Amino acid sequence: MTTIVDLIQSAGLTGRGGAAFSSAIKVKAAWENRARLIVNACDGEIGAAKDAWVVANHLPELLEGVSLVTGGRRKAKTLFATHRGSTTARLLAEAGLPVLETPERYVSSEETSLISLAHGGLARPMTKRAPFVFGGRDSQGKRIRPTVVLNAETLWRISQINRNGVDWFRSFGTADEPGPRLLAIGGHVSRRGVYESEAGTRLTSILAQAGGLPADAEYIGVGGLGGILLTADELRSATWDSPGMKRFGGGMGPGIITVWNPDDCPVEVASKMIAFGAGESAGQCGPCMFGLPALSADWAAFSEQPNRDTHWRLVSRLGQFGGRGACHHPDGVARFAQSALRALGPELAEHAENQCTKAGGRRYAQLG
Amino acid sequence: MPSSADHRRVAVDRILCTGHGVCAQTLPASIALDEWGYPIIVEDHVDADAGALAVKLCPARALFLR
Amino acid sequence: MIFGESTLWYLSRATGVVSIVLLTIVVILGVVTAGRRRPDGASATVAMGVHRWLSMGMLVFLITHIITAIVDGFVNISWLAVVVPFISEYEPLLVGFGAIGVDLLVAILVTSFLRHRMAERQWRFVHWATYGMWLVAIIHGFSFGTADQPVLRLVTLGCGVIGGLAASWRVATSFADRNRRTEVASQEWS
Repeated sequence: MTTIVDLIQSAGLTGRGGAAFSSAIKVKAAWENRARLIVNACDGEIGAAKDAWVVANHLPELLEGVSLVTGGRRKAKTLFATHRGSTTARLLAEAGLPVLETPERYVSSEETSLISLAHGGLARPMTKRAPFVFGGRDSQGKRIRPTVVLNAETLWRISQINRNGVDWFRSFGTADEPGPRLLAIGGHVSRRGVYESEAGTRLTSILAQAGGLPADAEYIGVGGLGGILLTADELRSATWDSPGMKRFGGGMGPGIITVWNPDDCPVEVASKMIAFGAGESAGQCGPCMFGLPALSADWAAFSEQPNRDTHWRLVSRLGQFGGRGACHHPDGVARFAQSALRALGPELAEHAENQCTKAGGRRYAQLG
Repeated sequence: MPSSADHRRVAVDRILCTGHGVCAQTLPASIALDEWGYPIIVEDHVDADAGALAVKLCPARALFLR
Repeated sequence: MIFGESTLWYLSRATGVVSIVLLTIVVILGVVTAGRRRPDGASATVAMGVHRWLSMGMLVFLITHIITAIVDGFVNISWLAVVVPFISEYEPLLVGFGAIGVDLLVAILVTSFLRHRMAERQWRFVHWATYGMWLVAIIHGFSFGTADQPVLRLVTLGCGVIGGLAASWRVATSFADRNRRTEVASQEWS
């Protein structure tokens, strides 16, 4: 008998929340451990919009995916996680679904934050000594029941694979990264929205759906605060798949493309994003709660006065974040800062010469 | 290199770790400290006995082997 | 008088006062470990090591103290009175304080030996009882430091003052890790 796990396995579906882990392994472990399912419909990353889009446009199929994953268990007690007060929260509640409302904090939509919240704890990440699909304990020893978190798009894709078959699914994307995938396109484009895409497509063709890359666009963020920054030239040569994004130090992440407004000083935008990331630390892990504010300060110091000394301090700081948090928030912000440092090289040189006159950039022009 | 009888991989529960810095003394070849005293794992493969002792001596019980 | 029928009694008092001194040192090292951070872990490692090994060393003196006090027979203390408070025929209240101290000490030792098999917060909860254990030990020791032995009484009093200061420091002091955790945890997270 072909089970849904076999189907997902043959389809090669990976999690659409950003981690891109094999969905078959997760669902299989969830079955074996009778794990409770939490549907992550938070759109937690900056610029993310696809979870809300799935709930707004494909809720019946999403629920079909939930039913397939939980094996139709009546006592499955699936929870639907989303930010408090969001439109998605309202839609889910109107559909009579049990909503797990997480606070409007960047790390509160991380999967272990949701698991902690579902257990009556705070919506802050937990250390994963082993995946919580097996159950386990938090750092203080509180028992955590087997729980699996799947992204809303992932569940929708599971229902599609079940309806349309593996061949249909694999007719999209590449052999390594098959299937259709959603992408939120925002910022300085004429038609912002959520679009269907697939791995192996050129980023320019994907952007064409949103009206194309404007001629004056200079910088494009891929993947939000945990992602990377590309120059317009880099974007024109880039392919939307993991190898294509890895060239620039990133990945496909949760599917977000943000074209930065050319009127804003990009150095200042990056500064603000890094500072925001520092402020969103959950204050649980030393390297995050002290390292991110220090990174933010080092970035500010370098952008205001780019010289060998400030550059060295920033670069050595960036090297300190490898896997040193319970979650990957510090790694994500460091990755973004690293790629912003690369992409913004010419801009930073302008700052050194006090030539930046863009919005937010004047502060630097007035210095010295 | 997988874990074997005489070698294990050392890891830190970052939420429990409050920066005592003891692990950098008990496993000096594997762990360094950052400017606030939080561990940086330089080499996670450690001798099983030395690792077990370091785990035992961590005041925050944040160090563990896997 | 060094040898004679009172030898055990003197031994008991001597080991008692040494136990108090060692216990106070162990407690202070624990207080220092809990309340202080340095960017390098050298002094913390020494404090942690001495804290653990000295607590074992103290046990030797404490056990000698208890055994000699009972075996001596100069006063009437039953074996049961070592663990059950306030049933001793001799000075039921003061021996009782010692018994409470013994009970707490057993709980603290057992949880510390099993620390890696229990939840961190449970261990922490029991370990907080050390302050109470230390306090009853001080009361027990100070009250027994009889008038003819002012030196013993003075040593116990000194331990009480130093330990009290350490505990006050623990309440008053803080460090960056704890402050930041408290600060961020007070934000909205649920």
